[in-house]
Amino acid sequence: MSPILTIIVILVGLYGLATSKNIIKSVFCVTIIESGLILLFLNLGNLEGGSIPILSGLVENIVDPIPQALMITTIVIGSTITALALMLCIKIFHHFGSIEWKEVLGREE
Amino acid sequence: MTEIVSYALQIILIVIAFAVVVHKRNFTIIILIATFGLVAASLYIMNKAPDVAIAEVAIGSAIIPLIYVISISRQREFIVLDRAQDGFIEYGHELSGEGYEILAEFVKLYDLSLNICVDIQGKEKSLINELNVDLIIARDLQTGAYILYGKSSSVLLSKLTTMVKDKPNIRVVKIKEDKRND
Repeated sequence: MSPILTIIVILVGLYGLATSKNIIKSVFCVTIIESGLILLFLNLGNLEGGSIPILSGLVENIVDPIPQALMITTIVIGSTITALALMLCIKIFHHFGSIEWKEVLGREE
Repeated sequence: MTEIVSYALQIILIVIAFAVVVHKRNFTIIILIATFGLVAASLYIMNKAPDVAIAEVAIGSAIIPLIYVISISRQREFIVLDRAQDGFIEYGHELSGEGYEILAEFVKLYDLSLNICVDIQGKEKSLINELNVDLIIARDLQTGAYILYGKSSSVLLSKLTTMVKDKPNIRVVKIKEDKRND
């Protein structure tokens, strides 16, 4: 498993963020970028032939557990970011009457 | 063997991510996001992180699609509070009345869903500011005209104002929202 394939996931998310016309679509793309980032971190901490870092008895040659602990935090924070962004989408719809980027940004005021 | 499985899962992940980016309908994308979470969780197990995979299955493929479904279905809701209750909106077997026809036409034009509630006490200004109400229908006791209260910043309210412009017994009052420092 190579980190290049996980970087491709992140790049696909960035492409969607750059080209999406709908605000909710942009939030979907942020979710994809977050998943790709988690996968990249886990991949960098992974050892070839290492074992799972659960210490029951004599386990040798474990993989690095620090990126895994960080990535659990990232998953939880990502879900709250999604909820916040979608709440802002509802507020934008009631304020501007549309959730297309073009109409929201092109409006006066 | 494990190598082949993990490469195949990686390629499936990229294909699903690309499908999310190019697809048009939001409810289909929610299903794709849930699938994306499941494939990503199996890849975390391949990277020897089963605890992260448990968190991803619980949050990424169950709670996040739930949040998306709730917010997308609540987004097009237009909440109306009826405080006149004298025939402007008739609560019979089916909703009818002069006001209901105007609101139904407005809601159909902008593809919203109407939600009418009654019996909430309080002043109009504080209700608009504190509750998530879009429109309040009240009646002026001296002239007998109906007054529609709404937020001054809302675009939907200005569109409704242009729709009821030529009706003499209806007038629209736009309430300015408080500037709060929070």
